[in-house]
Amino acid sequence: MPVKVMFAQLASCWGCHQSLLDLHETLIDVLPQLEIVFWHTVADYKLHDVEKLPDGSVDVGFTEGFCRNEEDLHLLKLTRQKCKLLVSYGTCSTYGSIPSLLNLYSIDEALSRKFKEAESVVDGRIPDKYVPKMLEYVKPNREYVKYDLFLPGCPPEPPLIAEAITSLLRGEMPKLKERTLCDECPRIKSEVIVLKKVKRDFEGIPEPEKCLLEQGYICMGPATREGCGAVCPSAGFPCKGCMGPGPNVMDQGAKMLSALASLVDYESVSPEELVKTVKDVIGTFSRFTLPSSIIPKSVFKKK
Amino acid sequence: MSKKEKVVVIEPATRLEGHANIVIKLNEKGGVEDLNFCVTLTRMFEKFLEGRLAEQAPQITPRICGICPEPHHVCSLEAVEAAWGVEPPSAAVKLRDLMMQGKQISSHALHFYALAAPDFLAGPFADPSVRNLVGVFKNMPDAVKKAIALMRVGQTICRYVGGRSVHPVTGVPGGMTKRLSEEERDELLKLIDEAEELTDFTVDVARKVIEGYLDVITKLGVVPTYYVGLNVGGMHTVYDRNATVRVMDPEGKIVADFPKKDYIKYSGEHIAPHSYATHIFFKPAGYPEGVWRAGPLARVNIVDKMETPKAQELLKEFRDAVGRPCHATLAYNWARIVELMEAVEKARKLLEDPEIVSADVKRADVRPKEGNGVAIVEAPRGTLIYNYWTDDEGVIKKANLIVATNNNIAAVEKSMLVAAKQVFEEKIHEKLKLPEPWFK
Amino acid sequence: MAGDFEPKILGIFCNWCSYAGADMAGTSRMQYPPNVRIVRVLCSGRVDPQFVLKAFELGADGVLVAGCHPGDCHYVKGNYRAERRIALLKEMLKQLGIEPERLMLRWISASEGAELVKTTEEFVNMLKELGPSPLRKTS
Ligand code: SF4
Ligand code: SF4
Ligand code: SF4
Ligand code: FES
Repeated sequence: MPVKVMFAQLASCWGCHQSLLDLHETLIDVLPQLEIVFWHTVADYKLHDVEKLPDGSVDVGFTEGFCRNEEDLHLLKLTRQKCKLLVSYGTCSTYGSIPSLLNLYSIDEALSRKFKEAESVVDGRIPDKYVPKMLEYVKPNREYVKYDLFLPGCPPEPPLIAEAITSLLRGEMPKLKERTLCDECPRIKSEVIVLKKVKRDFEGIPEPEKCLLEQGYICMGPATREGCGAVCPSAGFPCKGCMGPGPNVMDQGAKMLSALASLVDYESVSPEELVKTVKDVIGTFSRFTLPSSIIPKSVFKKK
Repeated sequence: MSKKEKVVVIEPATRLEGHANIVIKLNEKGGVEDLNFCVTLTRMFEKFLEGRLAEQAPQITPRICGICPEPHHVCSLEAVEAAWGVEPPSAAVKLRDLMMQGKQISSHALHFYALAAPDFLAGPFADPSVRNLVGVFKNMPDAVKKAIALMRVGQTICRYVGGRSVHPVTGVPGGMTKRLSEEERDELLKLIDEAEELTDFTVDVARKVIEGYLDVITKLGVVPTYYVGLNVGGMHTVYDRNATVRVMDPEGKIVADFPKKDYIKYSGEHIAPHSYATHIFFKPAGYPEGVWRAGPLARVNIVDKMETPKAQELLKEFRDAVGRPCHATLAYNWARIVELMEAVEKARKLLEDPEIVSADVKRADVRPKEGNGVAIVEAPRGTLIYNYWTDDEGVIKKANLIVATNNNIAAVEKSMLVAAKQVFEEKIHEKLKLPEPWFK
Repeated sequence: MAGDFEPKILGIFCNWCSYAGADMAGTSRMQYPPNVRIVRVLCSGRVDPQFVLKAFELGADGVLVAGCHPGDCHYVKGNYRAERRIALLKEMLKQLGIEPERLMLRWISASEGAELVKTTEEFVNMLKELGPSPLRKTS
């Protein structure tokens, strides 16, 4: 019996979809086991087709993306209503991910920048006909509906997806790995780390095998959940935290900020210098999780 | 709106990349009054890039599009390099080029097989339950296996160069954080052998599809527009630091060939009240006269020749059949195949270059500075323009982005209107010659 | 209006010095403003930025972290860590639209009860000027 699935794309970049496609030949085993009832990228079913389905009649629903406008919110609630099991697929859906950094600004400022002030715009106006209203700021989807499973990653790496899907098809709940990224990172780390200098990502040339944080690059490994296979540090680039907070962490940004502050050598790096190097604290430490942070948005710019 | 008018809303528009609804206004006689292509989503990257460290922008903007994050990564990166006056080592430039070709391969394969082919193979009137990738798979498993293999080749190239197959991370101002090892290179060369075969197969499928649908392709939704795309001295390219931007008018005359930094003189954004995606057009011609298209069809229209031999042959075949410029919207799929061939050939050429495995892929002496940088590359779906203004510490003060698909929004709306008129008023779908579906 | 506003302050004090200082202020009957709820930690280096954020989220108008003078920390480097954390945290608050002055770090030793009273008074006055935290649920 094929499993009835629906896939709701809210405000997203489709990268979670691309990552699913990156299962490549594994898809050949998976596809025939699915009966798609809604998936707007793949099949021509329309919203009214979903509205007509009996509640709870779909076995598994996936949501990619967050709610940027009222249409997204409607689809999210509809999906919850129609599905027995709801999976939050990817970091947008789970924590907000990068595009919800817009929470640092008001929606009006943003609309005005894009549609009125942008250098190439010739006849500025804010679109308001047949387009859904924007929500003031991004809230994590879980504040709107209840989920049964979270599968973070921006996007989740294909092996993680494969594991989750095979469990789900067997009728089992997938179990996510629980440690921090450093635990699965192949880079060599010392017992004690003391940073004489904090570097920006373009500075110098990273040594090929040593822990990047130890070399002074801001690697989010200590505050991030494992599960991606530490792909970024393996490719010479510090982790930016896309898997979201590691175990027992409430606020990934605050946690990493704290970790970095305790690793710097206080004789070599003054507080002022640290601030000057990091500069963009939220963009550096809370890049993927601002809406699910303790303080999820900027407060003062709003009237 | 008079009482006799009727509004048809198609919600959501399916099997395309992006979120959109289509609103069609019909008059009492069943004629099409107007059609609005309503893109319902924008995440406004332009705003929240303000205040970010410029070197992080290449990590941030790939999230504009997860289907083609590589062009965003590279374009974002090179806009920062342009603002800071940084020149990466030549091996790094070759790696970026290779990654761009990898993306052309996988994205074109995806678009052809998963987004477009179901209509052609199952026929446009098949039930939605079969007219999709899974339907194609159940009926033509071999073709889908080949499509998957071709996507795997492209995505593997992206992953080896960019560190991840979606949202690459290795590009930093001044170079790349990862070199390509010799083993990886050898493995990729083997994949290219595979890709060559798969591409030949795809060309055959495409030829058959095109023969069968030639009537539809040349009659449905044909709209003359301007075309825009990168070129180097008339030659096709998706990534070249010295490329210029060519614009062709609807008659086929080249009306501009400008350096990247002058983009603002030539491209304007019109804001339609019904769309969160802006309408980009050729500024000197004004709106809507100057509406242009970008992407595969535009690129093969504007260039004089392809870069590689087999692609050049395909371009000739294309032109013999549909002319230059070709205004047939459905010919995009064919143009895509011409480009797919070039990407495979180009990837081989890059992989056979000994410098591709060089360890000299990053400069150590990059300094942020105050500046204004523009970069332009070709994403699979069209010309991508990035412009950053940075302060002396390398923080982004302002960002202006023109993303690939926006170049086509106005033209998509126009061709939909034409097609809707053809369907609602002339009942063209009853008159067009359609081939037997490949499966039902 | 500044007159009727009584800021709510969370004081997070190191056990060895500042908390002892607060104790001393108490026993020697120095009057310090009642606006401060004090939480004792083993060292300023143990102040988790998550707690500070949580305090603001729950409606604190200001947070005062106090630890031993540089060189005097019982865990050697705790206060240097705190100094760097607070510096970054202030930046974070700024980006979130919360005035960074609402977060204060001071070195106050066990013998400096008077200093503690003075610091708190200053902090209360400054917060009165600033007004209620923008995060405070409007009552
Ligand atoms: S989680 Fe990342 S990859 Fe997935 S939709 Fe969001 S931005 Fe794209
Ligand atoms: S800090 Fe980064 S580089 Fe170091 S071990 Fe952790 S994940 Fe790896
Ligand atoms: S290393 Fe970090 S940023 Fe990279 S994929 Fe893993 S969690 Fe995401
Ligand atoms: S013991 Fe007081 S600050 Fe560390």
